[in-house]
Amino acid sequence: MNIETMERPMQIAEAVKAKVSIENLAFYYGDSKALKNINLTLYDRKVTAFIGPSGCGKSTLLRVLNRIYEMYPRQRAEGKVMVDGADILDPGQDLNMLRAKIGMVFQKPTPFPMSIYENIAFGVRLYERLSKEEMDERVESALRKAALWEEVKDKLSSTGLGLSGGQQQRLCIARTIAVRPEIILLDEPCSALDPISTAKIEELIDELKEEYTIVIVTHNMQQAARTSDYTAFMYLGELIEFGDTKRMFTHPEKQQTQDYITGRFG
Amino acid sequence: MPQHIVQKYDDELKKLSTMIVQMGGLAESQLASAVEAIVKRDSELAGIVVAGDAKIDALRTQVDDFAIELLARRQPMAADLRIIVAALRISSEIERIGDYAKNVAKRAVALNQAPLVRPVHAIPRMAALVQALIKDTLDAYITDDAAKADAVWARDEEVDELYTSLFRELLTYMMEDPRSITPCTHLLFIAKNIERIGDHATNIAELIHYAVKGEVMKEDRPKSDDTAYAVVNAPGGTR
Amino acid sequence: MDLYTRRRLRSRAVVILSIGAALFGLTWLVLIVGTLFFEGFGGLSLRVFTEMTPPPGADGGLRNAIIGSLIMTSIAVLFGTPIGILAGTYLAEYGRATKLSMVVRFINDVLLSAPSIVIGLFVYEVMVISMGHFSAWAGAAALAIIVIPVVLRTTEDMLNLVPNGLREAATALGAPRYFVIRRVAYRAARNGVLTGILLAIARISGETAPLLFTALNNQFYSTDLNAPMANLPVVIFQFALSPYEDWRALAWAGALIITLAILALNIGARALAGRQTSK
Repeated sequence: MNIETMERPMQIAEAVKAKVSIENLAFYYGDSKALKNINLTLYDRKVTAFIGPSGCGKSTLLRVLNRIYEMYPRQRAEGKVMVDGADILDPGQDLNMLRAKIGMVFQKPTPFPMSIYENIAFGVRLYERLSKEEMDERVESALRKAALWEEVKDKLSSTGLGLSGGQQQRLCIARTIAVRPEIILLDEPCSALDPISTAKIEELIDELKEEYTIVIVTHNMQQAARTSDYTAFMYLGELIEFGDTKRMFTHPEKQQTQDYITGRFG
Repeated sequence: MPQHIVQKYDDELKKLSTMIVQMGGLAESQLASAVEAIVKRDSELAGIVVAGDAKIDALRTQVDDFAIELLARRQPMAADLRIIVAALRISSEIERIGDYAKNVAKRAVALNQAPLVRPVHAIPRMAALVQALIKDTLDAYITDDAAKADAVWARDEEVDELYTSLFRELLTYMMEDPRSITPCTHLLFIAKNIERIGDHATNIAELIHYAVKGEVMKEDRPKSDDTAYAVVNAPGGTR
Repeated sequence: MDLYTRRRLRSRAVVILSIGAALFGLTWLVLIVGTLFFEGFGGLSLRVFTEMTPPPGADGGLRNAIIGSLIMTSIAVLFGTPIGILAGTYLAEYGRATKLSMVVRFINDVLLSAPSIVIGLFVYEVMVISMGHFSAWAGAAALAIIVIPVVLRTTEDMLNLVPNGLREAATALGAPRYFVIRRVAYRAARNGVLTGILLAIARISGETAPLLFTALNNQFYSTDLNAPMANLPVVIFQFALSPYEDWRALAWAGALIITLAILALNIGARALAGRQTSK
């Protein structure tokens, strides 16, 4: 009783604001429908986790959010994805600007075949003309935010491919942050990493949510439970249940969610 | 609920609940024996009960170890998590029940050395009621029956009422016959212990409700134990 | 005989046959290279690089032929490589599954395995006849036509090997497509593409047939691209068939030079390719 009354003022202090609202979203790979009627809200400066078995559409949903799917023919989305009140699925949407605003980090670390410094500067140069000093500063602050600076500050000019898997992934996160996006999409960012590197990335997510809206797709239920504020459970292209992470992992409403997160799927 | 993909996990959860039920059964029979020791004035039986509590304590350690092992190995979620956390807490509730049964048995030894007093007859009645509560709780536990657990929870009121009336009866008795104060005081504590056992049974019922439904019971349990406010006037007193 | 023994005997027989076949093939290779080195080093001297091809009986070298080969090979690479790289880029990056790229890919495969004499004849028809004379331009054109499919194929293959994740990552940063290709895909495929170019150079530096119909030959030193130009393969061809002892010695020396050059290019290509995979 006491605890509840103590919690309430805190919740008012950090009132949640919607950042992205997905409305009646459907997605097609050619003729096959991969997402069905998704309605979901992502909150500003919160971490939302998408969980579900392989092929449930969680990665597809993530790939709709920055329209990266447009790289491939025969993939299309229907419905609305409102980001700050504007529909990003609008045909007139400038895709490059959209992607600069909504960054993405992938399952496999993807450092570009260039120096650590250039890896970070790459995206910044696309949209900003910075002096050498400003660029140096930007690179350093991105690497610091990604908790990589101390490890690489003496070898900024050596290739990014020489880093360990966990460092490469943090480099990719730094690269994304350097562009100053508002939303960061993480597509199974730790599935190729050892537990220590995973913990570092999770710590990073916790820090980054101060400034960014974060969406993370993960196969690892414990990771979703550890890192997220909200969790969406998807199955066969449908959103089964969405809610507060604490509730989702202690008493989910839907039987399907319950079965999945307790390891009962046949 | 469907089975886990990892079958061993199901076996482990089953083993955990078996341990709890075993513990509960043991506590139930400890209480029965303790009360029997009072009714039959059998100090030897009371001694067995006192010694028997160690077994419940040992079981409690086993349950806790196993539950912690499950938490570490399986990293349970949702219903599984609630079941395991509930088991941890139920084992501690049962352990307390065991302690109270032991206390009853200890007092039985003392009581047997004093002359027989009449209100002793109320004890088995109260104990039978509490034993039924424990039994029903354990049934609800095995069958994941939240409704049954809720019923147990409500029925504890009867125990409280019985206790209150016994309390008054004992006070009256002591006032009437000061020589009966020693046995009556023992009886009073015994009744209190049994009443506490009933409370622990309702705690277990609450945990079962939580494990099954995922939410804590909202309302406060109706209490009919008014002894905290009871005042009994001395016979013929003028106050 | 049980199954196991039978199987073992059969295995042994196959191993012996394979080793035999390998030795048979290697024997000829060793003989060829051995003869080439023996005869070639005999004819090799500093004069080979400093003096012109001589008339029979006189002293001379291969200077005009070596320089002619270098010029025509350079021009062929200069024109053939960009076309090959751009076409390969289209196939791998823009038109992976379009009809056009399937047609281009098929024609390229045909071209890749077309006999070089056919290409020589084609350039002869198109350039030599219409211009009225043999020329270094025509020779370079014929060589360029051989370069294109090799470079195109390796470029496409190398770009296909670039993980799609890299393209997605660059695109996800907001990079436009051409930028992704230029700054990321090319960089990742660079060593592979360079390897392809080296192999293409190796391939054309030994080609005789296309030059026979196009650049022909020249007894004299000439850098005029509109005139016939001396080149190593054709000189070797002519000198080797001649009855003159000193011409044949020069032919051996020329053959050795080409072989060593191709060997060097192949080793260079290997080294580059090795660096590519070790990453």
